[in-house]
Amino acid sequence: MNDDKTVMKAWTRAQSRLGRRQAMPVVLLGLALAATAVGQVWCIASVLASVLVPGGEPAVTWALAGLVGLAIVRAVLQMGADILAARAGMKARARLRGGVLDAILRGGPGLLRRHHTGELTALAVDRIEALDGFFARWLPASVLWVAAPLVIGVLAAFVQPGSALIMAICGIAVPFGQALFGIGAAVASRNQFLAMTRLQARFLDRVRGIATIVLSGRTEDETRRLAAAAEELRVRTMKVLRVAFLSSASIDCALVVALVLVALRNGAQLMALHDQGGVPATVMAAHVARGLFVVLLVPEFFAPFRSLALAYQDRAHASGAAAAMRILPDAAAVRAAGQAVCETGQGVSVAFEHVGFTWDPARGATLDDVSFTAPAGQTLVLWGASGSGKSTIIEMLLGFIQPESGRITINGVDMATIEPETLVAMTSWIGQKPVLFAGTLRENILFARPDATDDQLQAAIRAAAADAFIANLPRGLETLIGEGGFGLSGGQAQRVAIARAFLKDAPLLLLDEPTAHLDPQTEADVFASLRALAAHRTVILASHSAAVEGFGGQRVDLDHGRIVTSGENAS
Amino acid sequence: MKSSENREFARLARREGVMGPVLQILHIWQRRAPLLTAGALLSLLAVLIGLVLMREAGMRVAAMTVGVIVVTTGALRIFGSARVILRYTERLVTHDAMFRALADVRVWFFRNLARGAAAGLGFRRAGDLLSRLVSDVETLDGLYLRIIIPLLGACLVLPFLFIAINMVNTVLAVVVAGLFACGAFVLPLIAAMMGRREGGQVNHASAQLRIGVLDMVGGLREIATFGAEGRMLAHVRDRDDALYRAQMKQARMLAMAGAASYLCGQAAVVAVLAAALGLGLPHIAPLPAAAVLFLTVAAFESVGGLTRAGALAGSITRAAARVVAVSEMPEPAPPEGTEPAPAGSDISFGHVSFRWSANRAPVLDDLNLSIPAGQRIAVLGPSGAGKSTLAALLLKAVAPQAGCITLGGRDIATIRDDDLRGRIAWLSQATHLFADTIRANLLLGRPDAGEADLWIALEQARVADVVRELPDGLDSWLGEGGASLSGGQGRRLALARVLLSRAPILILDEPATGLDARTEQEFLQTLNDVTHGRTVILIAHRLTGVEKLDKVWRISDGKMVSVHS
Repeated sequence: MNDDKTVMKAWTRAQSRLGRRQAMPVVLLGLALAATAVGQVWCIASVLASVLVPGGEPAVTWALAGLVGLAIVRAVLQMGADILAARAGMKARARLRGGVLDAILRGGPGLLRRHHTGELTALAVDRIEALDGFFARWLPASVLWVAAPLVIGVLAAFVQPGSALIMAICGIAVPFGQALFGIGAAVASRNQFLAMTRLQARFLDRVRGIATIVLSGRTEDETRRLAAAAEELRVRTMKVLRVAFLSSASIDCALVVALVLVALRNGAQLMALHDQGGVPATVMAAHVARGLFVVLLVPEFFAPFRSLALAYQDRAHASGAAAAMRILPDAAAVRAAGQAVCETGQGVSVAFEHVGFTWDPARGATLDDVSFTAPAGQTLVLWGASGSGKSTIIEMLLGFIQPESGRITINGVDMATIEPETLVAMTSWIGQKPVLFAGTLRENILFARPDATDDQLQAAIRAAAADAFIANLPRGLETLIGEGGFGLSGGQAQRVAIARAFLKDAPLLLLDEPTAHLDPQTEADVFASLRALAAHRTVILASHSAAVEGFGGQRVDLDHGRIVTSGENAS
Repeated sequence: MKSSENREFARLARREGVMGPVLQILHIWQRRAPLLTAGALLSLLAVLIGLVLMREAGMRVAAMTVGVIVVTTGALRIFGSARVILRYTERLVTHDAMFRALADVRVWFFRNLARGAAAGLGFRRAGDLLSRLVSDVETLDGLYLRIIIPLLGACLVLPFLFIAINMVNTVLAVVVAGLFACGAFVLPLIAAMMGRREGGQVNHASAQLRIGVLDMVGGLREIATFGAEGRMLAHVRDRDDALYRAQMKQARMLAMAGAASYLCGQAAVVAVLAAALGLGLPHIAPLPAAAVLFLTVAAFESVGGLTRAGALAGSITRAAARVVAVSEMPEPAPPEGTEPAPAGSDISFGHVSFRWSANRAPVLDDLNLSIPAGQRIAVLGPSGAGKSTLAALLLKAVAPQAGCITLGGRDIATIRDDDLRGRIAWLSQATHLFADTIRANLLLGRPDAGEADLWIALEQARVADVVRELPDGLDSWLGEGGASLSGGQGRRLALARVLLSRAPILILDEPATGLDARTEQEFLQTLNDVTHGRTVILIAHRLTGVEKLDKVWRISDGKMVSVHS
């Protein structure tokens, strides 16, 4: 927990340093705005004084003209400050979001084992959006709440040191109240975000399975649960707001007290002057003007405090974000990338040498002393029931996990020492269900190789036997693909994956139960295309479908992470 | 209160033609009308007290400076603290009312989504829907807090301001009230008209960013294996930049709106001072001048945010439209029935024809089929022949273009959806496992099932061993889409869920997927026992020979052909 806090503080401090430079112009404009406000108040006080004390000063048209000019200046300055603040927030968000996206990509599929996609998306989108206020409002406000009242207070001190002192004392009382409430605000705001994330993850999951819910007749139950999550969000949000409102109410209190004290003090002084009698009108007018000036200055003095109170929850969002980002891998924690280059011109042979791996010690070893060789250009079938360790072997070959003992060699070179780019370039992979991205079918196939020519694309589609169904789609290759590949059947989606693999044309092909979700007829068809794809490549196929038997090559039987038999697969 | 708000928006609606969704949102909020109204009344009271207080304060401060009277400490303190407390309470109540109403909108959204989603999400992406449920609903708070409440306040302040100043001078009253109307109504309206496009752009860009990120996160495996990190990052960054561009435009609009509103208020202050000096306007007495000045400042402060809110109105109406759009189905779902399900479970398809879309060939063509209660049948056919369509029709996920389907002699179109679906349990090809515990996933099939029932179902589905080996057994967390299990194990868990259900009719779509040949035979034999007395519709590509079936049908060219009986 303490460690958490140090990390959060360090992160917030580092971000403040980075953001403050962007915030500097906003702060300077804020100070200029405070000075302009003092000028405006002076103009109004002069006009009122000249009206209230007849024969005091000649009609002060200059003050009225000054007021008009200053109002325009203030409007322009405020506009500039708003735009600059928005820009500072945007720059910071762009930088942070870039970092988060980078880290998610670096973390790779391993992240998905521990975190819901909804959670990661909320982190990259909403967490970062919520940080806008930290950079656009909190950082400037955190400087201005000291600097602006100081400017106003010093100017007031030239006119009436006593009243300036009253304002200063009331002003100093504010941060104490703020600190008191602020501690609660940070915790409350973290909880609020947690509630938000929970609502999001829950909803995303339920939306994906909405047909299952509706058809099980569980709509009402799920609606009630969503309502409970939404209610929790309301309760948590209200906690945050209550603190924010309390803290601005405390500022209002300080303001009222200062206003009353300053007004009484001036009232008493002026009464004394009246009682004294025989005071020249000009002197009287000057006194009235000064009195009005300090009274009208009080709200301006407290305005920066109010901005700070409004921005306080923005700061809490920052520490919340810092805590949330700890799920992402550090830039430093990335495994040292290998340098070795691996020649693949003559094909790729893969060998496992006494490889062991454990996901969860409670469930025992996932792979235990596994050794086998897949010679270049041949097929090796990993056979076994679900949970026997087939997928773990494929994950290792994809580089998502590393052996805990033993080693894997590719063409005799230890896989751990090979350049990651080389590994990616030599491998194609087809899993149980391909992910189809938002976009057209063409974009989805070209995903494998964006620079492919149209001829290459068409050849890959033909080789994957996808041409028939694509021709039947109303818009052919330009058909838009929906969530989870809606509009395509499981077999069609798998053909898209096969077309991708043809297009990539890599020498090593990894197949992880590619037909697990298909009916037997489609399975046979897909296997026929896969056999075409397998020609002249090294193939490692994990499956326990009977249809594999026609695939030929060598077969390794796995059971609970151990090799039980290995031999020729029927062909 | 509610009807006056409705009228207000109906008026705007005629002018802008985008108010339909907003009215619908207000309709959803109707349940919260008392609380929302209470918040609005409190807020009006706070505004009113603020005005009275400032007018008094102005008068007294001015009087004091010329030594006429001294403000009693008590009076100002009571006024001041009353205002502080009222302001705090008002903010608390309005926000609380607002968030309750927003929670209602979220629930309404989900319910409407579910209503038309029996056939799945279609082309709507989960990321976009998430964006609507989260950010768009959140944007709607501005409708009440930033538009309706200040607008109501302005409607109250305007006559108050006019009457109070009119007691001093009519010309000045007209000038100040005119400027106020400009700041409270005209400028926000102009800002709303100018900001309508920008607001929509921000919502759209933010939804696009969410879809992009969700795609990227969901496709991490594909991205890693194709080495597409750079491309994907560039793609998401483009969307991110588009969002910033839209937000920058909006920020500029907002800054301009704020400045315009501010200048309006300052013009009023200058007008009052000019009148006090007798410059260009009829001269007014010093003490009332001070009172009018303070009153004017307070009045303009109460509507200071309206112009900015006006500039955001585009965002708000667009958000309302995006939320409301969920009830408009891309393909009309079968209408909800009203009758309860009959006691009998005989199923009959009479002259049923169905095609997925007008430009596709019919899947079922004048199909006739009758399945008496308790019969066990198999429907065979190549993929795409319409086997699953049969199930979708029976569950009213889609409606036939011609013909009639009856359950227990009653047309299913007239039966309530939930009642109908309570009678049928379907293991489809797309059955979803939720990111929850195994127990919770199973209970979806029968919420009141006991521990023993769960294990029996797991045994029947041949997945009990797997669950038993998990460290937390039934309470193991399944992960997203059942990620902690292999594909075959997940499918069997889904089957256990269906077997657990008490529904008299079971539709099993390729239930043996993911089983090896030996286990498949064992499973099908178990199936013969556990489904005794229930109607079973087995959808399969082929039969293994161990199934005990009363009838086997084959779908061919959209018609049913009996294989043997």
